[in-house]
Amino acid sequence: MRHFLLFFLVVSLTASARASGTVRVVAKDPSGTPVADAVAYVLAIDAPAPVRPPADPVAIIQKDQEFLPYVTAVVVGTRVSFPNKDTVQHHVYSVSPAKKFEIPLYIGESSATILFDHPGPVTLGCNIHDWMVAYIYVLATPYFAKTGTDGAADITGLPPGRYRLELWHPRLAAKVGREITIEGTADSTQVVSVTLRPDRRIRRAPDSEGLGYK
Amino acid sequence: MLRPTKGRFGAVALALSLLPGAWADGPYVSDTARVSWEDNVTNASAGNGVLGAFSFGAGTTLSWLHSGGFSTLILSDLSADFTVCTSYRGLSNIEVGPRLEVRHKLGLGAFAPSLYAGIDGKATGFQDPEQSKIEGAFIFGYSQRLSEAFQVQLDGRLGSYDAQDIVFTGNYASLAGALNWDLDETWRIRVTGGWRAGDTVSNYTAVMSPYGWIPIESDALNLPGAWHYVRTFDAPFVAYRVSARTWSYGISVSPAIGRHTSLTLEVKRVETVGAAPYLDTVVSLSVAHRY
Ligand SMILES: [Cu+2]
Repeated sequence: MRHFLLFFLVVSLTASARASGTVRVVAKDPSGTPVADAVAYVLAIDAPAPVRPPADPVAIIQKDQEFLPYVTAVVVGTRVSFPNKDTVQHHVYSVSPAKKFEIPLYIGESSATILFDHPGPVTLGCNIHDWMVAYIYVLATPYFAKTGTDGAADITGLPPGRYRLELWHPRLAAKVGREITIEGTADSTQVVSVTLRPDRRIRRAPDSEGLGYK
Repeated sequence: MLRPTKGRFGAVALALSLLPGAWADGPYVSDTARVSWEDNVTNASAGNGVLGAFSFGAGTTLSWLHSGGFSTLILSDLSADFTVCTSYRGLSNIEVGPRLEVRHKLGLGAFAPSLYAGIDGKATGFQDPEQSKIEGAFIFGYSQRLSEAFQVQLDGRLGSYDAQDIVFTGNYASLAGALNWDLDETWRIRVTGGWRAGDTVSNYTAVMSPYGWIPIESDALNLPGAWHYVRTFDAPFVAYRVSARTWSYGISVSPAIGRHTSLTLEVKRVETVGAAPYLDTVVSLSVAHRY
C-alpha cells in the first residue's frame, strides 16, 4: 500500500511538471484594430522562471536601409548580430539605458555580436540613416511571444501557477498588465486593449535642394 | 578682354575625382531634374532690361563614403548637371565638379548636431563661351534635427570663380539657412533664407551711341567694375560686374513619393542691394531621387 502511494505521488508530480498551458494574447487598440509587433510576456509570481539564452546569436538584418525585423524580443544574456545585407555602410547604435553600444560603419557581416545583459527596451538606430529604427525588448522571463499582424501571440510552455501578463510596444502610451492563472493544460485567451502613441518617424525621402541664388 | 582660364581648381578637381574609388564605399547615386521660371534672368534694375526666362535641367551625383572614425565621415562627390534655357540659349550650360567634405556628428542619434567642412569645385561650360568658368569654394555647415518634425540647416561658402571673360569672374561669401518642417513622413515645408556678398553680373539694355553700345541707364557707366557688350539675349545688352549684397528668402513644399523620391515646388525671392539693385523671383519644380 505504501509503495502504491509513493508510486501515485511520483506519477502525479511528473504529470504536473509536464503539464503546461498556452496563453493566446490578442492585442487590440481601442478601435478594435489588431496591434502587431507587441511583445507579450508573463512573469511567474509563485516561483522564478530562469531564462536560458540561445546558443547562437539572434540576427537583426539591415536591408534596403531599414532594420528587419522592426521588433525583436530576446531573453537576458542573448547575443545579437547585425548583418548588413545592403551595399551601403551602416553605423548601428543604441543609447538606451538597457544597452548602450555602437558598431561603427561596416558592410556585410559584422564580426561584432552584442550581448544584451539587462532587461528593458533598446532602441536601435543608424547614425548615417536617421530614419532607420528598430527595437529589441530584453526580457527576464522565458515566457514571451510577439504579436503578428492579427494582433495574436501564443505564449507556450507555461507550467500551472500564477503569472503577471504584461505587454510592451514601441509606441505604448500606458503600461498594461493583469494577473492570470494557468491551470493544468488548459489554454486561455487574453484580449488586451492597448493605446498607442502616433507613429511618428523621420522622413526618409531625399531633399531637393532647389536652385541656388546667383 | 578674353583671358585664359587658370587651371588651379581644375587640378584639384581632377585629383579629388580620382581619389574615391580606391578607399571608400560607393558610389551612391542621386538624380535631380527641374523646370524653372526666373522673372529677372538679366539681373537688371527695374526699367533697364528686365527679362524672364524658362529653363529645365537635370543632374546626377555620385557619392563615396568613408568612415573616419569618431563619428566622422569623409564624403566625396562627383556631380554632373545640365541646364537648358529655352528663352536665351547662351545661358544653357553643362557643369561638372567634385566635392570633398568631412562631416562630423557630435554624438550618436538622429538628434545629434552635425558639422561639415570641405571644398567644392565646379567647371561650367556655357553656350555663351565667355561665361564659361571654373569655380572653387570652401564650404562649411551645420545641421540638426530638433524633433521628428523639425530640422535646421546652415550652409556657408567662400568661393572664387574664374571665367573666360573678366566680367563673369569674381569672388563671394554666402550663408544660407533652412528650416525643414515635416508635417508627416510625406509632406515637408521648407523655409529658406540666404545672404551673399560679392560679385554679381547685371545686364542692362544697350543703346547705340557715337561711342558704341552703352547702357540705357547712363548712370551705369559710373559703376565700378568691368563691363562689356553681350549677345546672350535677343536684344543688345551690356553686362556689368558689380559688387553687391544679396538677400534671398524662399518657401517650398515637398511631398515624398515613396521612400526614394521627392517632388519640390519652390518660390524664391532674391533682393540685391548695392550700386545696381535688382529683384528676382524664381519658381521651380524639381524631382529628386536617391537610389
Ligand atoms: Cu544606415
